[in-house]
Amino acid sequence: MIKVFFISVILFTISVFPQTDNARRTADEAGWVKGGKADYRYQKPNNFRHREYSFDTESVSGFIAKSTANGYWYFISDLDGDNCPYRPSCSAFFVQASKETNIVQGTLMFFDRLTRDYNIYKRHEHYPRVKDGHYYDPVSLYTLDEEQIEYIPPSVTVTE
Amino acid sequence: MKIVFLFLLLCTATVQFAQTGNVDFNSPYNIKKFADYLFCDKDYLRAALEYERLTDTNMSDTTEIKIALSYSYIKDYYSAIQKFSGIIKPSVYFNEAKLEEMKVNFLINDFAELRSYFKNSFITEVGKYQTEGEKLFNYSYLFTDDELPLKDEFILPFDVKEKEKISSFYDWKKEPPYKDGTLAGIMSAIIPGSGKIYVGETGDGIVAFITTTVFAFIAYDNFEAGHTTRGWIWTGVAALFYAGNVYGSVAAAQVHNAKITFEFNEGLNIYLNKKNYYIPKYEFCD
Repeated sequence: MIKVFFISVILFTISVFPQTDNARRTADEAGWVKGGKADYRYQKPNNFRHREYSFDTESVSGFIAKSTANGYWYFISDLDGDNCPYRPSCSAFFVQASKETNIVQGTLMFFDRLTRDYNIYKRHEHYPRVKDGHYYDPVSLYTLDEEQIEYIPPSVTVTE
Repeated sequence: MKIVFLFLLLCTATVQFAQTGNVDFNSPYNIKKFADYLFCDKDYLRAALEYERLTDTNMSDTTEIKIALSYSYIKDYYSAIQKFSGIIKPSVYFNEAKLEEMKVNFLINDFAELRSYFKNSFITEVGKYQTEGEKLFNYSYLFTDDELPLKDEFILPFDVKEKEKISSFYDWKKEPPYKDGTLAGIMSAIIPGSGKIYVGETGDGIVAFITTTVFAFIAYDNFEAGHTTRGWIWTGVAALFYAGNVYGSVAAAQVHNAKITFEFNEGLNIYLNKKNYYIPKYEFCD
């Protein structure tokens, strides 16, 4: 009877041990994943905090726009969160637009983008989406250079 | 026990015997048979490679066009054109090959080459499918900005059932429903947002009107209250929204026109695909 009891205790211990965190960690460290707890994440991938703060522009327009955007990112956006429904985001759009055109045209393009940003009516019928669900609205559509315009229908998922 | 042993021996012997058959998998007959199987299984790249293993003496007209079709189906258009142009007159598929060549030019958007090929080669060399060739020739004008032929001439080769559709394509091409960017800009300069509404962006237009007027009112209200500095700040914001909207209306007209052109070309492609580029269907896999 005692033998049976001891055998039961040993078997119980063996069966319980792999379920403890220590055992799982050891198994994971050893590269053995089967049976280990999977690290599922249900959050959408979001890299908006990985900002590129460097000034890699040679133009004055680009420098002014980048300084403004950097300030906005550092003091407001990083604390406020990812609220822009578009990609590139409105601040990134401003920087790109200023680099590709000039500061005056870039500013006009930015304020036009803000108008589109405030409009929540039927966006899904107007813009294609990127993989993370944001609407794709590139600078190239608004530079007034018709040759740069490449229309993408809303049904398409864009891979940037 | 003995019975089981004998049964197993018999099974093993049967399997061994089946594998020692004198089959030459590389014989022209078997290569062709395998290539035919791959072709009908839509494994076109491997089918073409298998067919090309055959020597000239084992090539048939059917094999030649199947090679060319395989390259065309896998979108290797350069090889496809080479193979189609290599199909010469005694071949029973000569006429089809020439029509296929026009199709490939369509697919690579080389409309200048397509027209030159039709005028210089197709009309004189090809006996059959002249009407089909002419249809493709005329259809190519819908994809380019070149001057359109007269409408009656344009729709002449098409069947009665098709005429209405082709006629609507022609009318669209002649007078596409584009929006004028300058007009959109002027409209937005007079009434903020109206240019956007003109190009079909009603939501953006309403938002532009509201933002501009609200910021302008705030500026006015501040001036009225004697807050000059704040008044000028809000005037600046209102002015930027106003100017941005005028600019955006011109840009929106361009985007609208690009969208219209895209949808028109999509419609043309869908119609042409439905018609199989006026090429008769092959019965290789039936």
